Amino acid sequence: MSPGQRLAELSALRVPDESVADHRFGDQLIALLPRLRRFARGLTGSAVDADDLVQAASERALARRHQFQEGTRFDSWMFRIVQTIWIDQIRSREVRKEQSDLGEDRLGSDEPVRRVEARLALSEVRQAVDQLPPDQRTALMLVTVDGLSYKEAAEIVQVPVGTIMSRLARARVALQLALEAGGGLRRSRKDAQAQ
Amino acid sequence: MHKRSDDRLVAYLDGELEAVEQREVEAWLDGDPAARDQLAALAQSAKLVRRAFDGVLHEPVPNRLIAAARGDTRAGGKGPEILPFKQPQAAKRLARWRQWQVGLPIAASLFGVLVGGGTIYLGISKFAPADTAGALARPALEAAISNNLWLDNAAGYFKLFVSAGDNAPVDIPANGDSREALQKISQSLPQQIRLPDLKPWGLNFRGARLIIVDGRPAAQLTYTTDNKAIGPLALIIGSSNQPDIAPTFDRRQDVNLIYWRHQGRAYALVGQANVGYLWGIGNDVAWQLDAI
Repeated sequence: MSPGQRLAELSALRVPDESVADHRFGDQLIALLPRLRRFARGLTGSAVDADDLVQAASERALARRHQFQEGTRFDSWMFRIVQTIWIDQIRSREVRKEQSDLGEDRLGSDEPVRRVEARLALSEVRQAVDQLPPDQRTALMLVTVDGLSYKEAAEIVQVPVGTIMSRLARARVALQLALEAGGGLRRSRKDAQAQ
Repeated sequence: MHKRSDDRLVAYLDGELEAVEQREVEAWLDGDPAARDQLAALAQSAKLVRRAFDGVLHEPVPNRLIAAARGDTRAGGKGPEILPFKQPQAAKRLARWRQWQVGLPIAASLFGVLVGGGTIYLGISKFAPADTAGALARPALEAAISNNLWLDNAAGYFKLFVSAGDNAPVDIPANGDSREALQKISQSLPQQIRLPDLKPWGLNFRGARLIIVDGRPAAQLTYTTDNKAIGPLALIIGSSNQPDIAPTFDRRQDVNLIYWRHQGRAYALVGQANVGYLWGIGNDVAWQLDAI
């Protein structure tokens, strides 16, 4: 074997940096999928739509992975992509949800809830979330459900922290009123007492 | 003094207020029973919202999403390779060995797994190129081969466990004090290991066993269930000197693996459950062991 051939063969053994980076990127993304699905479920109110949204976000993220800045939070970057695509979808489809659309079947929920009362309460919660305006729903999912700080949520949505604070407060009060009206909160209190 | 508003109460609940504002809200709450009721209701509704959506975290992740994250739009396509590179001679030998090992018949002996794994592991340096260019490639090559060996051994031990059925060898049975059992196992390992509780998934701890994976001692924790869609499963916890990696899916014939490395430990959740269930359980395990 000539030195040139040997060198070519050895060069082929090197792991391409780009391929390794792609693999790591995919690993990060896969690890994040459960949280992205939860976020998307809250935004869309539908299991199928949520997974479509996460798939679209994953594809967009892969196509634009060069835009992700190492050292910044990958989850925040992905949440922003999910939220951006969702807003685009709302605008392009001009989605107008009818009350009749809001049902357990649309939510596609199959979480193991042991008691009927608890299940009803959680169903009411999801319906109540589904009726919030999109900006309040986003703030609620990012902060209350995913546990991000106001600052982190503000960076994802690209609004001031004060805007997140007021959106979140409106969402939480609206939710509380809806649950009080529907009885879900009372049931959940009884449920908590029973436990 | 800031105005008394729901914004303040919600921010107080979320721990987003400065110390001064926090004290103001607390003073307000001390003197206003209605505000206290409102705070309790807001806290309760927040708890409900989290519960309403947390179930999603435990759902199986559809294959199409995993494929999309890998850049493969063909759902259910070929499982990911660890590192994409042209196979050198050593890796080809490894592949042949792997085919042999994964295809072990039911009667495959533990001795074969141990000796085979150890021999290949020790032989890596002999097969790797020794000149400068080779030295550049060797760490990555060795890491890939070592990782593949780890997964091969993990899958092989799982097959042995399944094929032995009720007679599967267990060093430490589940009955009795599992903490004591784990301490005994841990004496042979570099670090203390803990036992994840997988009962919410219907999985019962069956026992623990000390095994050798990629030439290093590791613990194999086995779980069984009546739910054939999930179990049985094995969780393997070993040590590693490789860099951390996020949970990754791989497959050896009909055995699925979710594996990851964290702070010097290597983990693999091994079973024949569909990948969605494995992801859910793997997340649960990682969360319980603070291992991700």
